[in-house]
Amino acid sequence: MTALTGAVLAQNALSAADLPQIGAPAIEYGTLSPVLAITATALIGVLVEAGAPRRARFGLQSAVAIVGILAALAATVWVSIHDLGKVSFEGTDLLARGKTVAEGALVVDGPTVFLWGLLLVFALVSMLMFAERGLEGGLSGFTGQAAVAPGGAGEREATMAGIEHTEIFPLAMFALLGMMVFPASNDLLTMFVALEVLSLPLYLLCGLARRRRLLSQEAAVKYFLLGAFSSAFFLYGIALVYGYSGSFTLAAIDTAVSNQIAGQNLLLAGMALISVGLLFKVSAVPFQAWTPDVYQGAPTAVTAFMAAGTKVAAFGALLRVFFVGFGGAQWDWRPLMMIVAVLTMVVGAVVLIRQTDVKRMLAYSAIAHSGFILTAFAGAYEGSAGTATITSVSAVMFYLAVYGFSTIGAFAIATLVRDGGGEVGHLARWAGLGRESPVLAGVFALFMLSFAGIPLTAGFMGKWTVFSAAWSGYAWPLVVAGVLTSAVAAYFYVRVIVLMFFADPEGDGPTVAVPSVMTSAVIAVTAAVTIVLGIVPGPVLDLAQNAGTFVR
Amino acid sequence: MSALVVAVLLPGLAGICLALARAVVSARGAAAAGAAVSVLSLICVVASWSARDGAYAGEVDHPWSTALGLHWHLGVDGISLPLVVMTILLCVLVCWSLAADVTSTTDDHEGAGVVLVALVLVIETASLGVFSALDLVLFFIFFELALIPMWFVIARWGDPGGGRLAATRFLMFTVTGSALMLVGFVVIAVTAGTLQIPTLADLPDPLTGTVPLLGGVAIAVGLAVKTPLWPLHIWLPDAHSKAPTVGSVLLAGVFLKLGTYGLLRVFVSVVPEPAARLAPYLGALAVAGIIASCLACLREHDLKRLIAYSSVGHMGFVVLAISTMSEVGVLAAVFASVAHGLITGLLFFNAGWLKQRYGSATFDALGRGLYTRVPRLAVVLLFAATASLGLPGLAGFWGEMLALRSTYEPSPALDRTLAWTLLTLAALGVVLTTAYFVRVVRRVLQGAATPRDDDIDLTRTEAGISAVLAVAIVLLGVAPGLLTGVIEPAVGAIVQVAP
Amino acid sequence: MNVYAPILVLGIIAAAFAVLSVGIAPFTGPKRYNRAKLDSYECGIEPTPQPAGGGRVSVKYFITAMLFIVFDIEIIFLYPFAVAFDQLGWFGLIEMVIFIGTVFVAYAYVWRRGGLEWD
Repeated sequence: MTALTGAVLAQNALSAADLPQIGAPAIEYGTLSPVLAITATALIGVLVEAGAPRRARFGLQSAVAIVGILAALAATVWVSIHDLGKVSFEGTDLLARGKTVAEGALVVDGPTVFLWGLLLVFALVSMLMFAERGLEGGLSGFTGQAAVAPGGAGEREATMAGIEHTEIFPLAMFALLGMMVFPASNDLLTMFVALEVLSLPLYLLCGLARRRRLLSQEAAVKYFLLGAFSSAFFLYGIALVYGYSGSFTLAAIDTAVSNQIAGQNLLLAGMALISVGLLFKVSAVPFQAWTPDVYQGAPTAVTAFMAAGTKVAAFGALLRVFFVGFGGAQWDWRPLMMIVAVLTMVVGAVVLIRQTDVKRMLAYSAIAHSGFILTAFAGAYEGSAGTATITSVSAVMFYLAVYGFSTIGAFAIATLVRDGGGEVGHLARWAGLGRESPVLAGVFALFMLSFAGIPLTAGFMGKWTVFSAAWSGYAWPLVVAGVLTSAVAAYFYVRVIVLMFFADPEGDGPTVAVPSVMTSAVIAVTAAVTIVLGIVPGPVLDLAQNAGTFVR
Repeated sequence: MSALVVAVLLPGLAGICLALARAVVSARGAAAAGAAVSVLSLICVVASWSARDGAYAGEVDHPWSTALGLHWHLGVDGISLPLVVMTILLCVLVCWSLAADVTSTTDDHEGAGVVLVALVLVIETASLGVFSALDLVLFFIFFELALIPMWFVIARWGDPGGGRLAATRFLMFTVTGSALMLVGFVVIAVTAGTLQIPTLADLPDPLTGTVPLLGGVAIAVGLAVKTPLWPLHIWLPDAHSKAPTVGSVLLAGVFLKLGTYGLLRVFVSVVPEPAARLAPYLGALAVAGIIASCLACLREHDLKRLIAYSSVGHMGFVVLAISTMSEVGVLAAVFASVAHGLITGLLFFNAGWLKQRYGSATFDALGRGLYTRVPRLAVVLLFAATASLGLPGLAGFWGEMLALRSTYEPSPALDRTLAWTLLTLAALGVVLTTAYFVRVVRRVLQGAATPRDDDIDLTRTEAGISAVLAVAIVLLGVAPGLLTGVIEPAVGAIVQVAP
Repeated sequence: MNVYAPILVLGIIAAAFAVLSVGIAPFTGPKRYNRAKLDSYECGIEPTPQPAGGGRVSVKYFITAMLFIVFDIEIIFLYPFAVAFDQLGWFGLIEMVIFIGTVFVAYAYVWRRGGLEWD
């Protein structure tokens, strides 16, 4: 026994010469420059927090964040011009452009760059909302002192002293970093790290509302607990898929899946667990329970950022994992995803009808819209060479653009309708807003019409693209379900418009706060995009379509 | 830019400008401007029609979004031109009536009268867009664009009691219908690979099989809501009767035509084979609608609701004509649509004037003996009613006559036995229509007069509007060739024309 | 199976050590009870039951723990670098300096915001 053990140990003993040669990795700094710019912005933000005097911090932080995002946007444009060479892979002549970078950890291809652009624009718009200080008497919408008890003396002191948490900007930058890496990950481990990087700052940000602190803290705890839970599922799924395929890399997983190298049980379990983690992030039914609570409790600027950004990142990752990694097993996952899509649309739309709070309403609307996006995803239409028929990937990306702008705009308006206790959440108090402020109510109505998918708003074009992609992928039950649920949801959106324009105000009615130029800019830009994408969707749609499929 | 594009977009743009400038424009001025713009639009249409070369007058075709295959594709042919002209005519009259009388349809809210005119103009643009769109998605966009302003008109300016509910019901029905239609369009677009209606109508091998049939069903149901086809008509009586006068006129005169025109342009012509399979059902439902609406009218006590129900019946004739899928059927459908637009427009104008005088359009509120109390108004009402019941020599006669004629000799899509059964029942409907209009005449116009303080006969504007419509109705009644001559050459775009 | 034998042996030894050291303690150790001795962990934090009024654990402990993690991570990355630094060459050196720089950002934040002051 001992002799045997000794022999085995001797066999396994390694000398320095046996160690593998470790070469310096090749890092494509130029191609990664958007990500690096955001990382640098976040770090500079932390340094500003450490070094700058308290009075100067807020202005400095917002300036750093906005300049950083603009730099990253410029870098993204540069990357899209220089680094998106066409590639071809075996067996198909579909359009794809881009390359893998950072030793295969990330892939910068058409969809990645498109999503980066979207995320950066959404973040830019959200940062303007973060930086809004005109609504709380010269202070931001975030709590001054998160550590003190809600409603206590400490809070009042902090407000009197004008203390503000300026860490929100670096935190948002870290979240943005995670969002950018998430859909660009070429292996599951990078993806997991990105998931955590994007989630943790958001958990924190959710708990920082200035008003209704307890609700905000509840939201943060809920989001954290459920988010951690779903991350664990995701990680477990990664482990099982690794067990099946022997690799974290999506391309290697694809090879393993296509060749069916082992029993399917491990793969199916792994796919299921990974999908739980991702579907949680896009708030698909049955993993949607956190959405209304978190959207309602979080500071509205954070909700806007989260609603638009997380959705973009998570859908990008969902598409990449399932189209690239599990593309060979699509007949296994597509039926399930179809069921999830229908459930998400139906539950989102039906529960939406009973909502009485603006932010919860927007949360259920977010769920329903996830369902619409899932129809294109479950359609899994990759396009065929030579035709211009819209593919699932470009349909999803276009819808994300459409939805993100409308939703940020809607949340921006929600920050302006106020009474003495802060934002007015209850929809009944929005009655008569059309008389109080016709322009604001009109723009909100525009967003509602866009959510409902009425033509000449961006929402219609979005719906058309996702349904046409789903139909091309032979997912016609989804199209029918989608159209019917959008009619159901339209009922609610119409009711909101009726309420604002035709109902008599309750008591004194809501007051509309006059925001600084930042929130006004957010509303103007989002409204303009909602109209422009509805009338001339061509350029953006072509951009999405030209992004091509994923590089593997 | 072609004159047609100007014609379509001009009213809407003018409407937006008016709405933006509502602080400085008076409601009267806005209405006058609206009428002027509509006339300009009419001139543009006529100009592009007289300069036509090819199947479609004023055709423009620009790619809009290559990824979607979406084109900015407009053009009018003989099928759409009559409807376009009728729409503009009705809009001019509506603006005229608003210009003369802005107090009755507005409230104290500042600029509301201007906004109403602006909404009417946007509705005009949307309707003209539907009638001239040659791209499925463009058709859908204009179709939906018409809804929202109309919904505002009904909800905001409609009856205080129930107007809002009626508006919401109107919107929900039509939005659901158009959603289904959109599904159908997606199906057709993906199956055929194009959205262009002329291309689809001339496909070398027409779409057949289950998938196009599904698409056809979706389109038909969507349009049937709008037309409306029994039993999907239940949004209509409330919407028509609770709407303000201008709303009722546009709803009946223009909106219902969006449905019938859609059945011709994007159903029969685009998916002929599925349409042929669905034709018997359409025909049966159309006749069921004729009978049901007549029976409802016999029991109705509100003039506006009665006219609304009678619209369901008249639309039944149109759909019956369409379901024959024959040349005469198409001719009948367009003719009857135009005739109904003019006649029912006049009826709703009348009912609106009465309602404005007496506060309600129920028979009890109107009292008896209008012949004595407001003789000229009563005569106009009598004229409109007789035109509506299809008196020979007036426009309504040719519409119904051609519809019945087409049912006598349908295309093979409609079984001969079924067609003749439908013909018999529809003829019964003609009789019933006469019966309920006679009932109206007896109950409201004749009888011992019950004078009231607000018995005011036709004002000058009202007389003018009545005269224009009456002239048009008589003209089409005595010289139907004016219209059929325009329609007939274009029938081939909808159905196969026998050589 | 034989390959795993050493692991099994190690496991047995570890289990035996744990059982033995816990089991022998009551017999060999001195028994002097006092208040501090009876606290869990003997670490100074008041464990449950919490005193009335919501006895709070001082946040300083958590800050210290988090700071530890920052440097812990630094070590974790420095160690493999140290093994292969000659093969990585200048690239490795520059990357490590950048890495240490970013770690220092966190340190600077904690330091400037008073995380290192105990009172």
